[in-house]
Amino acid sequence: MMLFPDPASWSEHLRQTLPHYGEALLRRVSARLVKTRNQWPASELVERCVTALSDAALVDRRLGELDLPARRLLACVGHSRQPRWRLGNLLELLAALGCAGGPEAILRIFEAGLLYPELSATLDSFEQWLGQGSASAFVVFAHPLVMARALGTDLGLPACPAVSAASSIHEADGLEWPLRLAALWQLVDAAPLRRTQQGGFFKRDLDRLRSDPLLSAPPVDNLGELPDLGLLAVSLAQYEQALVADQEELRAGSLPSHWDEGLASALASLWANLPLLEAWNPQEGWCAPPPSANPYPSASLLLLLRLAQLPEDAWADLNDLDHWLGENHPYWSAAKSRSQRPSWVPAFLLGFAYQLRMLQAARDATGQWVVRLSPMGRWLLGIAAPPSTAAPFAQTLLTQPNLEIVVYRQALTPGLINRLSRFATWKGFGSACTLQIQAGAVYRALENGFTFEMIMQTLEQHGMRPTPPAVIESLRTWADKRERISVYPSATLFEFSDASHLNEALARGLPGVRLSERMLLVADEQAIDFRHFRLTGTRDYALPPEKCVAVDSDGVTISVDVGRSDLLLEIQLQRFAEAVDRPGSNGQHRYRLTPASLAGGSDGGLGIRELDEWFVQRSGQPLSPAARLLLSGSQTPPPTLRAQMVLRVATPELAEGLVQWPGTRALIRERLGPTALVVAEEDMELLRQRLEELGVRLTS
Amino acid sequence: MSSPSSGARIPVKLHRRVCLVQTEDAVLAEELLARKKLAPDIAGRLTDRVLLVRPGRIDAVIQELQKMGHTPRVVTGP
Repeated sequence: MMLFPDPASWSEHLRQTLPHYGEALLRRVSARLVKTRNQWPASELVERCVTALSDAALVDRRLGELDLPARRLLACVGHSRQPRWRLGNLLELLAALGCAGGPEAILRIFEAGLLYPELSATLDSFEQWLGQGSASAFVVFAHPLVMARALGTDLGLPACPAVSAASSIHEADGLEWPLRLAALWQLVDAAPLRRTQQGGFFKRDLDRLRSDPLLSAPPVDNLGELPDLGLLAVSLAQYEQALVADQEELRAGSLPSHWDEGLASALASLWANLPLLEAWNPQEGWCAPPPSANPYPSASLLLLLRLAQLPEDAWADLNDLDHWLGENHPYWSAAKSRSQRPSWVPAFLLGFAYQLRMLQAARDATGQWVVRLSPMGRWLLGIAAPPSTAAPFAQTLLTQPNLEIVVYRQALTPGLINRLSRFATWKGFGSACTLQIQAGAVYRALENGFTFEMIMQTLEQHGMRPTPPAVIESLRTWADKRERISVYPSATLFEFSDASHLNEALARGLPGVRLSERMLLVADEQAIDFRHFRLTGTRDYALPPEKCVAVDSDGVTISVDVGRSDLLLEIQLQRFAEAVDRPGSNGQHRYRLTPASLAGGSDGGLGIRELDEWFVQRSGQPLSPAARLLLSGSQTPPPTLRAQMVLRVATPELAEGLVQWPGTRALIRERLGPTALVVAEEDMELLRQRLEELGVRLTS
Repeated sequence: MSSPSSGARIPVKLHRRVCLVQTEDAVLAEELLARKKLAPDIAGRLTDRVLLVRPGRIDAVIQELQKMGHTPRVVTGP
């Protein structure tokens, strides 16, 4: 069980951060940390600094060279288990520990290479960085090995006055927050939370989180009231990756895998995330957007560190803790009146720290709550060995024929909460929690890699009685039903020219599923050895359709370029055209538009507009006039057929003259073309005379 | 797979990023095709058990299948 975060990931983070140091600054810091004698390149210095932080003896020597306030501050960071802190909170810790020169102490730790600013641009000096903005906005981090080795430093906190307890001792089971996070995960999985631009939630989701019967209800073993429990769960879940930000939404991620390591691991992660909370605090509850001043991370840590000064069996008075914090934390010590002092301390200790199993609580002789660190709390703060949290027995749930599961908390573990949450919906938290097995939840579990066998194994392994046959039957039905339809959102299809080629590909080991004689489905394109294939064409269905159709000069015969066509094309063509038996040149598939095929398309909803769009998309040309004739010829006014006298002249200019000259203009009924004019039969003689007047002789 | 030198390269046309629905039997495929809300998203029937879905419409198809009471298995990779 790890006390601190994974050092490797923080070493990598350090490797990314140090190159932002200007060269002079990097040489100064590395000279202090690794005592370099040679003129190494900057990249080598970065590596040596990172390597130095895997050497416990070296880190101990460097810590020993620091002054006491700096060591105390790093010890506080170690007790918190959280490497990343806001600079303002560290200054508050220093002030509460009695160090007046706060920024200078932190600069000395920077210079010693044991604390690092989070950087996105080049840094030439730490003083320059500090001068860029407010301390509350800056974030710094320490390496987990430095945190671990700093533990044990005397913090110099005054001893807490011990008081007596007069009642039985209360200690939570520590499962409340894993349970609430699991319920929240299911709530968000059903409907994501929409976020405003300021990072808050819209009213609908706020109402949902504040009124959800599981998330808003106080814990069964409730000693202190915390505001906005549902929204605190949201904040915690984000740092546990149970909820993940996706553009303007918070979506369900996955429940923490470290829950399988046991209760201590789950609680350690929750405790380590406490300093990161910004949008929630125990005084005001949910604050969106987060206020600029957030003294609660440092104040919460100080309260628990003060309790750590007590002997293991001694109790502390909440009022004393409250008063001490008000007097010593710089955020509240400046407040003149008592009303401006913290009033949230009992709620935090009895509502949050108690449910995290960090505290034991009892009543004193006057009936007031008194508290002390529990064995779990002492371990979480890094001052004691891990307590045993093994469940006394594994069988703790009862599956009922109505698909309800009753789980007794005595043997419940975060790992079991994780597994149950995958296929059953939480309905109630109490000393016995209830869940409902539903088709949707089972489907979600199957979709996420859980199998029918894994569900059954969970129920059987932890069940106090055999799983009822009706429940098994329902689970099997849902699991089998899932196998009835497979959806491939992005498959690769191999289209062979004939069945023998397909069989040959299978024989050579192509990992595919046969769909038809010539078609093979491959789910994973990465597994294909393309050296066996000669690609005659490739179509990507995420791209717009290609132009792969040519219309012959008759306007009704369509040739398909098989190399560029796609599966959609021939399916679409079959809706309004008839296949021609004889293929075209180069093996092109040919289709023909006929009145019957177009009528069939029209019956299926393909009108002139849709077909016109299709032809523009697929051939680059609009629907041909011949096709339009077939489609709409019957709907136009009936044509007329009649005999006419047509006068043909030698040139268009002569035709123009006849139409324009008043002597002949009235005798021309219609102009059919450049040199063809229609004349009424009764006007023929008059036209002949007029033309003769002009010297033009008319021949029949 | 065996070495490509064991035979000539096989000519093949590749269709990439295709959206498909494969059913257990042909009757189920008929049932899906008869569903009015699904029909516009189905481009056609590739085989008696395989339906071709219009590009970009796969999420709508999955939702409609779930509304019908099915629990489709979404195959996204290896």
